[in-house]
Amino acid sequence: MTIMTSLHITHLAGVATVQDLGRYGYRALGVPISGALDVLSAAYANALVGNRPGTSLVELFGSMKLRTGKDVIVAVTGGLPKVFVDRYDESPWRPIYLKHGMELVIRPSDRGGVSYVAVAGGIVCEEVLGSRSTYVRGGFGCLGRPIRVGDVLINGDVDVDRLWSEVCDLRPVLKPGNRVPRTSEPLVVRATKSIHSEQLPDLEVLLNSEYVITLESDRMGYRLDGPPLESSSKLGKLPSTPTDRGYVQIPPDGKPIVLMSDAQTTGGYAVALHVIPPDLDMLAQARPRQRVRFMEVSVEEAERHTSKYLSEVGRPLLMTAEGEEY
Amino acid sequence: MKDVKLRILSSGGYVIHVDVCSDVSPECVKAMHKLYYTLKKELSGSIRELVTGVVSLALFYDPREVSGDVLIKRVKELWEWSQSAELTDVYKPRSFVIPVSYGGDLGPDLSSVAAWAGLGEDEVIAIHTSTSYTCYTLGFTPGFIYLGEVERRIAVPRLETPRVKIPAGSVGIAGRMTGVYGLESPGGWRLIGRTPLTMFDYRRDPPIPIAPGDLVSFKSISLERFKSLKEVFVGDYYD
Repeated sequence: MTIMTSLHITHLAGVATVQDLGRYGYRALGVPISGALDVLSAAYANALVGNRPGTSLVELFGSMKLRTGKDVIVAVTGGLPKVFVDRYDESPWRPIYLKHGMELVIRPSDRGGVSYVAVAGGIVCEEVLGSRSTYVRGGFGCLGRPIRVGDVLINGDVDVDRLWSEVCDLRPVLKPGNRVPRTSEPLVVRATKSIHSEQLPDLEVLLNSEYVITLESDRMGYRLDGPPLESSSKLGKLPSTPTDRGYVQIPPDGKPIVLMSDAQTTGGYAVALHVIPPDLDMLAQARPRQRVRFMEVSVEEAERHTSKYLSEVGRPLLMTAEGEEY
Repeated sequence: MKDVKLRILSSGGYVIHVDVCSDVSPECVKAMHKLYYTLKKELSGSIRELVTGVVSLALFYDPREVSGDVLIKRVKELWEWSQSAELTDVYKPRSFVIPVSYGGDLGPDLSSVAAWAGLGEDEVIAIHTSTSYTCYTLGFTPGFIYLGEVERRIAVPRLETPRVKIPAGSVGIAGRMTGVYGLESPGGWRLIGRTPLTMFDYRRDPPIPIAPGDLVSFKSISLERFKSLKEVFVGDYYD
């Protein structure tokens, strides 16, 4: 009997986990949503290999090499990662056919911080509470831990040749470069007012200053350095309130933290702003030292942008090489 | 009710946040629970998820299906209705008993809590086990339960510097609340004991049976009993 293995991890510098679009419905029990930080990139990676947008895939901060144990179709999205197959350049944001025994290498470029590697059929692993997202701190979901060198990831069954004839010349309608922060200019993220905005008299400081992403950023939250909001410490101890991705928390030192997918479900810090979902994906792509500015938008604008974004996540917009809608 | 000051606001284009009070009291928590279960019943078809804080809650909605303005109006109407009802009209609270081995290595702060209170360790245990607590909310980490109200005599404030690692099942006090850590995590509550029960099991659905509004009491057990109850799921334990 042969075991059909698919992806052998041979090298890893950084942090890689299996994620999908999150574990919704259990936050009331304290379970964080987890899931891809850049949701749209994950949805596109899946769509490019014929998967549903919420299929399990690899999220990678850093670089990785893997070798295939059978023929597979993959796509690498995220920022603008460098992709090589047996040392030849390949394009990110495109389906790639990998023959048995080929090597796939993913390296970050100077733009974008997180990459997604989808494989046709999805990654087969333990589903917990309706999701295969890995929540490392809780030790559950898929492998229950980060991916290590030596791991073998198994993908779901697909008819590779038939699928390839359908997806081979697909590409996204969007231009990936337009949604990746540039190091030469601050990334502007749109945000609405939130829970404690009206109780922070120096909220203007947050809206009028430039901040920098610090090295102490991870899947729980991106920490920003810049002018502190002095008024947050005067609010005193706040009763714990529900939190979400995109909440801009102000801890007692006044320096903002933007919550990400692994954030705890409730928190006692002031919430000054709420980054809207499409812009949170772009912020997820920002690397340490990236400059960031917040721009206030109304709730109505946020609803409009979020609606469009949710539709795109649910059904990524693809076209063929000839520019025809897929 | 004097403490209730309802505040409803929109956030991010897909969240409605409701503060029932700005400070925690059992009355405010009860008002929040009435609202929570009313919204859960009446709005489950039009929202994605409903999450409680201690005296607040959040409704997550899909702006393609409903606007925040419409939801806010509904929440205000349902608030009025919910407060004229009894909690038992919208939710039947269940009771749980949690066995705890107090003090020693399992409750490293019991002696300092006793010293703070000017009581013996036995008296702290007697006070902690004599109250029937209400589950205010779950949150922070998977399966962490916030319970209240702790008697004033042992309502010791949380640690100045949180511990980096607290074992699952640890029972702590922070002011007028007591709680149980569902999983190993960092934390600043004063640890007075530990339960051998598995409070959170991700392979079960739901992974913890205790819900906001449920009643929880503690029972002091010996170290031997602690060992024999190791890894029994909280939902499978009957006193």
